[in-house]
Amino acid sequence: MAYVATRGGDRAIEQSERLFRDAMGDITPARVAEVKQALPYLIDRVMGEASLYDEDLAALALAQTGGEMFEAVLLLRAWRTTQPRLSVAEPVEQQDLFTHRRISAAFKDIPGGQVLGPTLDYSHRILATDVLSGGTFRPDPVDPADNPAPAHQPSVSAWQAENDLVDLPEPDTTEGNDIPDLTREPLLFPSKRAHTLQSLARAETGGALALGYAAMRGYGSAHPTVNELRLAEAEVVVRHPRGTKFSAGRVKVSQAEVVSKKGEKLDLGFSATLGWNEVKVIAAATLDLNAEGAPKGSATEEEFFLYHTEGVESSGFCIHFKLPHYVTFQSSLDAMRDAKAKRKAAETEPAE
Amino acid sequence: MAHALPDIPHEALLGTLARADADRLKAFAEVLIPQLGDIEVLHSRTGLVMLPMRDTAQGTAFHLGEVLVSEAHIRQAGVEAYGMRRGRDLESAMAMALVDLAVAQGIAPDACAAFVRAEADAAASEDAQVLRRIDATRVDMETF
Repeated sequence: MAYVATRGGDRAIEQSERLFRDAMGDITPARVAEVKQALPYLIDRVMGEASLYDEDLAALALAQTGGEMFEAVLLLRAWRTTQPRLSVAEPVEQQDLFTHRRISAAFKDIPGGQVLGPTLDYSHRILATDVLSGGTFRPDPVDPADNPAPAHQPSVSAWQAENDLVDLPEPDTTEGNDIPDLTREPLLFPSKRAHTLQSLARAETGGALALGYAAMRGYGSAHPTVNELRLAEAEVVVRHPRGTKFSAGRVKVSQAEVVSKKGEKLDLGFSATLGWNEVKVIAAATLDLNAEGAPKGSATEEEFFLYHTEGVESSGFCIHFKLPHYVTFQSSLDAMRDAKAKRKAAETEPAE
Repeated sequence: MAHALPDIPHEALLGTLARADADRLKAFAEVLIPQLGDIEVLHSRTGLVMLPMRDTAQGTAFHLGEVLVSEAHIRQAGVEAYGMRRGRDLESAMAMALVDLAVAQGIAPDACAAFVRAEADAAASEDAQVLRRIDATRVDMETF
């Protein structure tokens, strides 16, 4: 059979895009503002996976794609390429984070105490169906404490180092444009640690969770305990042309350390991302903890989890399979038919 | 370079202006414009700032991602002034640069100082309210 070439379909393509957008209707500034105000955790997830922090753009991307996460992230990654990079900020240090939530599952009495911050961890998961009958769900107001919490909380791992439980790392003096950057250089293996952590910061949440969960269930060598989990705001410290360093504003970040016993010390895994996304950083830190010495092709092997948690590439590869493959598929059919014909011919040949 | 508000360090001035309420900042800069004279605009644009973080497990600096900012870079009589604020608002970044220039040139120092102090107080008050709400979630654990 000859292969099949196609062309045409312009009208169908045009109308299919209209059909998709018709479901969302007009996208207005009011809608974007409502998405931003009502869905902050979804906005955070999109910003983290897009590796681009701006709530307005993330809300617009969600409104424009009807909440199709992969499309929203792709839109933001594409838009990012239209913008110049103005500078590289000073590295964010853990002890400088304006901390909203900071807990440890490993140690009850951590310096600074356990501060739950905003969470549904201990709540009943009950759908407020009254809203669908015309009611309004109005949450009880917070009763503020008399005194403010300290804005900055000490590092749990630094406290552990004082107690000879972990070895503190040597400070890395790399800064500015010398920090390895995945957006400008390829990911090669064994991966530079800066590439690994940047890749996990940009990882698709579901992918990081799936592989991290595999490690937690036993397909990894180390079982994680959350040493420290933080939801915080980081200052974006830039430099004035006259040399003064200053904060151009704050961005939300999440950070997780997980630990496992390793000999007489604790072994640490780490992950952080833009926006507040606890599941992603705990899962990604678990992958980091398990990566060393992981068997080739296992869920916790660096090459495996970094390639398979890159959301734009993986979703793009997945959806490309629905695009016309007539030529390659016809080729497969030809091969099948040829094999079938040869087998039939062999069966009908008289025995010697 | 020294500036006309010796009791407000340049870092604090810039950090406060970067966080100031956009409408109030633009309204204040509007008042300064007639006193500033001709200004050369070197940049008025949006762009990205790469934000690194330090890993606490091995100490490595890595990139968290990029932050959208608005930047204004201006010059007058050899003095450079600058505004950079998070988000997509060229006017407020320019307003920040204009206040920075006014302070550097000693224009309306009392008004600039009053504005910066009021905005710093507003930011501190907002932070204190947030932190009081956060402290309400502190766990008082009993030891058995």
